[in-house]
Amino acid sequence: MRSGYYKETIVEHINLTDSTLQRAWIGIGLLLVIAAPFHFEFYGLSLITLMMITAIGAMGLNVLTGWTGLISLGQTAFMVLGAYAYAISTESWGWPPLLGFVLAGIVPAIASVIVGVPSLRLTGLYLAITTLASAFIVNHLVLEFDGLTNGSSGIFVNRPVIFGYAFDTDAKFYYLTAGFGILTILACLNLRRSRIGRALIAIRDNDNAARVMGIDLRAYKLYAFVASSFIVGISGALYGIFLSFVTVDGFPFLLAIEALAILIVGGMGSIAGAILGAVFLVGLPEVTSFVFSWMGSSAQSLLSTSAHEIKGLLYGLIIILFLRLQPHGLMGLWQDARRTWTLWPLKY
Amino acid sequence: MNYVKGLAAAALLALPAGMATADQGVTDTEILLGEVEPLTGPPGLLGVAHNLGVRLALAEVNAKGGIGGRQLRLIAEDDGYVTSRTIQSLRKLIGVDKVFALTSLSGSGQALASMPIIKQSGIPAMVPIGPLPPLYEPPSDNIFVVGQSYTEGMHQLALYLAKEYPGAKWGIILQDDDYGKSLGEGIEQAREEADINVVFETEYARGQKDFASEMLRVKDAGVEVLIAGGIISENIAMVKEAEKLGITPVIATFWPGRVPEVLKAIGPASDGIYGVDYVAPIQSEAGQAFLELARKYLTEDEVARVNRYTMTGYSSTRALIEAMKGCADDLTWACTIEKLETNPPIDTGVMDPIGFGPDNRFSNSGVTIMRADYETLSFAPVGE
Amino acid sequence: MNYLAELLASGLAVGAVYGLIAMSFAIIYKSTGLLNFAQGEMGMIIAYVAWSISTSVDGNPFIVALGSIGFAVLFALAVERIVIRPMMSEPILSQIMVTIGLSVIFRSAIILIWDGLPHNMAIASGNQLVDLGGVRVRAAQIAVLVALFAAIAGMWAFFRYSRFGVAMRAVASDDATAQLMGVSSGKVQMAAWAAAAVLSGVAGVLFAIAYELSPSLYALGLKAFPATILGGLDAVIGSAVGGLIIGVTENLVGGYISSGLKEVAGFVIIILILMVRPYGLFGEKRIERL
Repeated sequence: MRSGYYKETIVEHINLTDSTLQRAWIGIGLLLVIAAPFHFEFYGLSLITLMMITAIGAMGLNVLTGWTGLISLGQTAFMVLGAYAYAISTESWGWPPLLGFVLAGIVPAIASVIVGVPSLRLTGLYLAITTLASAFIVNHLVLEFDGLTNGSSGIFVNRPVIFGYAFDTDAKFYYLTAGFGILTILACLNLRRSRIGRALIAIRDNDNAARVMGIDLRAYKLYAFVASSFIVGISGALYGIFLSFVTVDGFPFLLAIEALAILIVGGMGSIAGAILGAVFLVGLPEVTSFVFSWMGSSAQSLLSTSAHEIKGLLYGLIIILFLRLQPHGLMGLWQDARRTWTLWPLKY
Repeated sequence: MNYVKGLAAAALLALPAGMATADQGVTDTEILLGEVEPLTGPPGLLGVAHNLGVRLALAEVNAKGGIGGRQLRLIAEDDGYVTSRTIQSLRKLIGVDKVFALTSLSGSGQALASMPIIKQSGIPAMVPIGPLPPLYEPPSDNIFVVGQSYTEGMHQLALYLAKEYPGAKWGIILQDDDYGKSLGEGIEQAREEADINVVFETEYARGQKDFASEMLRVKDAGVEVLIAGGIISENIAMVKEAEKLGITPVIATFWPGRVPEVLKAIGPASDGIYGVDYVAPIQSEAGQAFLELARKYLTEDEVARVNRYTMTGYSSTRALIEAMKGCADDLTWACTIEKLETNPPIDTGVMDPIGFGPDNRFSNSGVTIMRADYETLSFAPVGE
Repeated sequence: MNYLAELLASGLAVGAVYGLIAMSFAIIYKSTGLLNFAQGEMGMIIAYVAWSISTSVDGNPFIVALGSIGFAVLFALAVERIVIRPMMSEPILSQIMVTIGLSVIFRSAIILIWDGLPHNMAIASGNQLVDLGGVRVRAAQIAVLVALFAAIAGMWAFFRYSRFGVAMRAVASDDATAQLMGVSSGKVQMAAWAAAAVLSGVAGVLFAIAYELSPSLYALGLKAFPATILGGLDAVIGSAVGGLIIGVTENLVGGYISSGLKEVAGFVIIILILMVRPYGLFGEKRIERL
């Protein structure tokens, strides 16, 4: 049992793991991820897959919103771009899926430069507005260039075959998603502890101070936006494969709000928080229908006719209540609990 | 380590699933059916009505003792017209609730996206909403499509209008999605067979509210026959705008918007609007008989929400029930699919008899041209 | 020629609706530095309340107007006091997210409280057609334009002459100094929210009369964003002008180019304006450049 969390050198601070216990937990976690398909079937497995895809998207948004403090309402736009980049390159042009995934990251990254250059020289508010605008413009472009995108009819997407190995069953696709999830976690962790990651946090905490320390605000903000869009694009491609069908309808604007809600619920700026938030919000409809079934038949009939609205209400309430009462999200709660556990009966 | 938490939470949520067998969803006393449709939000207008139709068919057969002594029960999942939720709901119905058959796969886009899952599982599925050709061409073993394609419906409507108003100038306003595209194809087909002079054609973005500029162009081009290819709000906006501009072209709409609410919202200007459909209007004899049946099994509030989708839902479910009845002793997917194939067409009175064949998974229903009557908030077939 | 005149007329009519909501954005932004993403939704809720009142009093326009303005003020004050005020010391990110959360709640509440169907809203003779020298418009569309000009005149006089208006400008230009001079920034904020709600409520009600009342009415708020960016986020009257420009542009694009482009024209304008003139046509130059 350790008595506290002390980091004495910068090396300790930026190490990915700090104790054998933590490494053991990571090992157990990996085992559970590998074992999941043996326990869950069909529905349960697809729910976890969806949680993972959502978590990848949330981790992408976290680079921009959690670390750099900029709001994007264009999550949907970059997911759509990623999904279409993958679908067009693999299905229409016959590219290998790995290249398709790379393109699914690059296309949204290029789009983010176009959106970012004019708006990032202004304060954060303006990025929220331009990304909102880009969400509508991207949908329009997809429908307009129907020679390339097949317009409103959409594109069917097959499960990928990588190096001769077909990810054709639900379990195999789950492993593929888990692989991308782990890659994303590693990428984010390493970005966070690099010079760039520290610069982003500095911009979020005090942009004037950051500039005084020689951080080029526009360059680093753009960097965060591009990195974020790259990851979000990959999650869009995975989402498209998950749906097996890519259309603009598959990516409703609510996804952008859901992504922000995930960060708030999980805890801004924390990778673990983004994952936790994704699990929480994707699982929320399951929990509500469970709770409502406990509350008797009248509550259940309300749910059956108004599930969509109740979900919307809950999203909104959760966003506001967390911001108001627990701004550090579930991760904040977890850290409070851990600190209390370690230091009890002392307060500090 | 973060996944530990994720998985722990997920483990609480997901139920462990057992082996799937061909006759899942059947117990000694009960047969479970499932469906996905939008039950909430604006598209709920369509989904709720459809759901009533399915429940009506079930109530009717349950009142007569069910199938082989087993009562039918329906689990309806709401997807709010969001494709990812359609897929998730279908996985739940098939994998967790283990229903025996599906009575709806939501709208056309959702049904297309769910084809891989349905085909993979082998569960018999009826598709009475949004029948698009890719759903039945080529035929999939277990997907049964009922109704008429938008393209063919539009084709017939356009041919009728071309005959009725020879030499008229046409204006066409379509939505920028697969629905609008299907309608456009129907008009193209009609143009090959009849002389149609299109003077104005445009596509609008879904969700558009202000149709002033479109209708001005309609006016400017001197349009005499206008195809209003919106669904609900859009058609309301277009007709009201025409009224404002003081133009009175012949206006033709399509079946997804053929519901009384649209006529009510447009007001008196809706009188005489053309419509096309493959189910009988409520005011017709068959429609009244159907309403009578609905009153017997549904509550008053529910009867008030009956519309054309109730009829399509009812009819396609009847066809499924008849097939299941034929398999009462051996209630398996294979038997049900075989009976759907071989049963003589089922006539419910409100649309053409529903039947399929060995290589045919599309029950092709003929369409009727009709006109709106604002007085009674309904449509009546032309010539009556 | 008449074609162009009619395009311009319907452009101005819908632009006035955007303008009123854009003014609401600007009023709140000017006095509190907050962009209220739930403004369109608030206008929608007020329109639904007005509809409920009108069906219970047979559409008597005076009762409907009084009742809905009263509701708008109370509603805005409640939202400001309960949700917004406690967030004012939080980072801008949290403030914006709170208004986004509110917008999601309002959208769902509409369908839970009323329903998801489109309705025909008939108040007084709002639906009546009026002939203006060959151009036909609905009475409600004239009313929106009149309301917009009344609002412009009222706002101009208010900020110029009234003590409170000057106080609001003071808070906008320097919050801390204004407080030291004895201005209550809390009161200023309340007034801003109430005024914004009334303006967007008028826009919502009149739009619902001229077109239709439906749960997608909130989209007007999205259309008003380009208007307020174009006019200048902190320019109340400039935003109104921005609304008219966006409305006319949309209709000209729809009338001469294509319908599909019409719906995104406003959003394209946002990106363009931020490239060349981020403070808008009438905004103050000091705005937020890094």
